[in-house]
Amino acid sequence: MSPVVELSRNDILKRIEQGARQRRGLSAEGLIRLYRAGKLEDPCEVADLLALADLLPDNDPLLVGAA
Amino acid sequence: MSAPPDLDKLLGRTRDLTEQYLAGGVEAFPAFRELTHLLLRLTVMVEPDGGLRLVFGPRGKDRAVLEGWIESALVPLNDGRLLRFSVVLYLEEYEGRTRLKVEKSLYQYQVDERGDRWVVRYDYLRYPAEPHPGMHVQIRGALTEDGVLASQETLERIHFPTGRVALEAVIRMLVEQFHVPVNTPPEVWRPILAESEKSFHQIAHRSVSGPTT
Repeated sequence: MSPVVELSRNDILKRIEQGARQRRGLSAEGLIRLYRAGKLEDPCEVADLLALADLLPDNDPLLVGAA
Repeated sequence: MSAPPDLDKLLGRTRDLTEQYLAGGVEAFPAFRELTHLLLRLTVMVEPDGGLRLVFGPRGKDRAVLEGWIESALVPLNDGRLLRFSVVLYLEEYEGRTRLKVEKSLYQYQVDERGDRWVVRYDYLRYPAEPHPGMHVQIRGALTEDGVLASQETLERIHFPTGRVALEAVIRMLVEQFHVPVNTPPEVWRPILAESEKSFHQIAHRSVSGPTT
């Protein structure tokens, strides 16, 4: 396993989507939208997924669409 | 009394890596990763299965996530349980150079891969978005006293405010209180954790535990 990896936007979206579906039954966009609206229940439980979204630029459609 | 084998070398490496990440710049990221990986490797992490990786994304090379390299940011532990480990790092401009900062961190001790059966979780949010304290611990347990919590509330939803908790403190808790087996004798891992944690306390950001208005 390489200690440094660079993920594309699609890689990041795929990981958030997969984790959000498995752990919350939500899409990636749904997870981010609820979080940004302050309505995501216990966001710390999915902090690792939210962290990945921090690797996207501020104008990314996932973040802009969720605003 | 002579030092245990390799301790001097490990202490030297710990100090070198600490200096490197404190120096800032893009090289701070791999130095911080290697130091954190070393702390886990000397203590509670299963090797060679476990490890930490730095993840960069489209936003650029001034921001990264340090996470467990098993899916969902997991680090396998020597007791068969898992540590969900995720830290958001970024470079901040400071007096003509850059410094490495932690924006968020998550350390969660858990039984299952999905994380439904978590035990304890430490969170740090430099910019907390909710009224809960940005530095807190949550415990998935039951309160022994009835009638203390609101009827719809459970203990695991309570955000107990903490100071800034170092990874080194979490490792000590896993070893000393949850009895997770370690990879090296105490004569090695204790001074290494102490050396690293001292530096952490010198620079760690702290804030008030909730909204100021």
